[in-house]
Amino acid sequence: MTSTIEVNNLSKRFGKVTAVDDVSFTVAENTICGLLGRNGAGKTTLMQLLTGQQFASEGTISLFGQTPVENAKVLQNTCFIKESQRYPEDFRPKDVFKTAPWFFANWDQDFADRLIADFRLPLDRRIKKLSRGQLSSIGVIVGLASRAPLTFFDEPYLGLDAVAREIFYDRLLEDYAHHPRTVILSTHLIDEVADLLEHVLVIDEGTLLINENAETLRARATNVVGMKTAVDTFVGTREVLHRDGVGGLSSVTVAGLSESERRDAKAAGLELSPVSLQQLIIQLTRTETKEFEASA
Amino acid sequence: MTTTTSALARPASPLKRITSVAKLHFANPWTTLGLPWIILGVIFVGSLTIWWLIYSALSPEQRVGALQGTEFGGSSFFIFIYMMVVAIQAISITFPFALGYGVTRRDYYLGSALAFVALAVIYTTGLTVLGAIEKATNGWGMGGTMFAPIYFGESAPERIFVTFVLFLFFLFFGSAIAAVWVRWKATGVTVFFIIVGAFLVGLIVLVTFTDSWFAVGDTFVDLGVLGVAAWSLVLTAISGVAGFVLLRRATPRNAA
Repeated sequence: MTSTIEVNNLSKRFGKVTAVDDVSFTVAENTICGLLGRNGAGKTTLMQLLTGQQFASEGTISLFGQTPVENAKVLQNTCFIKESQRYPEDFRPKDVFKTAPWFFANWDQDFADRLIADFRLPLDRRIKKLSRGQLSSIGVIVGLASRAPLTFFDEPYLGLDAVAREIFYDRLLEDYAHHPRTVILSTHLIDEVADLLEHVLVIDEGTLLINENAETLRARATNVVGMKTAVDTFVGTREVLHRDGVGGLSSVTVAGLSESERRDAKAAGLELSPVSLQQLIIQLTRTETKEFEASA
Repeated sequence: MTTTTSALARPASPLKRITSVAKLHFANPWTTLGLPWIILGVIFVGSLTIWWLIYSALSPEQRVGALQGTEFGGSSFFIFIYMMVVAIQAISITFPFALGYGVTRRDYYLGSALAFVALAVIYTTGLTVLGAIEKATNGWGMGGTMFAPIYFGESAPERIFVTFVLFLFFLFFGSAIAAVWVRWKATGVTVFFIIVGAFLVGLIVLVTFTDSWFAVGDTFVDLGVLGVAAWSLVLTAISGVAGFVLLRRATPRNAA
């Protein structure tokens, strides 16, 4: 499989702060990749580095096989929608949609019009009079309708309500099926996007903690629920990611189980349930980080 | 290394990329074209009113040459300073926006420079037409002068050259300031003006201590309006290159 993004030993320092610390990964062509992490983890800096908006302190980046920095051939295939994207003050949404096709060769006006109707975006109002959610929907519409071969969404939905977010996910998946492309989606709302993601990158304090296929990642952990004694017997010396208990009941998150182990657990009267991506990431990025890295 | 070409869009020509950026500055022409002409219009109407008040208070014999002093008026000078503001606004507003659209800094700067030259042409044309009307109507019928003051030159070609060159200077000086602003924000602009101020003070000190004020004055007289305007092209070029160099390493930030 060809890769759209290849990053090797990438670091970015601002004075004494290391925002991105020795990160390496690849993203395959035509995948939806989640870039997850807490606030200030380095997500935005990483995306700015990838789009040539920031200059790397160390390491190399290759998009479509070339460096993105000041490289028009690469950059005109990218679209970067930022969390608090600023627009020219005097612009109205219709000015944004008028100018966008000048820069994106794949721009689809019909698709944009449909999205404008979906998000109920007023076209004639000045940008500075728009609500936070309306502002976000402009970015989402540009990001989708531009159909850039490599699209970055950095927390694109500040202020968007649940319905609007749902529209975004639906339209993204729908359009992605017809026009495959590589999408990097950075977000806090992990569970909402979990089903969309094919690849997951988790970054914390500038370091890449997880770089995995979403399916593999989900299979990494299972919740085992049952009577405390039975759970403890089953878990034994297994790696425990998380432990919870009420009275005689116990719920333990353990690292991936094989088929036979699953049968054993069922036989012991234990209940197995998948761990949500969000739970998994919270557990992995909290205290067990070190253990997890050691086992990975 | 693996390279994917299938998904890539047909690359746009360098010229198209640059003109797209230039067009971006006119997408909503309010800042670059609307407001400046409106303000100029208001100043013009204000001047006309004052001239008319003076004119109507005088007897016909007194009227001759009464408004001759307006030849040295500076009311249209505002438009030049304002072009500097326009350049600063245009760059600081569209730079982070354009980079999100996948524009390189190089294309962005060249496109903006093209837009600024276009602005200089548009405003020079406007002032030339208004100046010609002013001359043809003998100062709007009252001998007043706003669009063709004495220091823009005496003939129409001179005025065209001087105004065009002045517009270029203020637009590119503005774009250099904008590049400093985009790269280092308020701190950078403050330092920039301290340096420019120190340089000017240094020049004054130098001229004073070497007792060369008369020589300086003579030089300016010798150069004439046209010569001074032509020399400003050097400053314009320095500003333009400085803006380019500074912007090449600038990174967009979200904070205003």
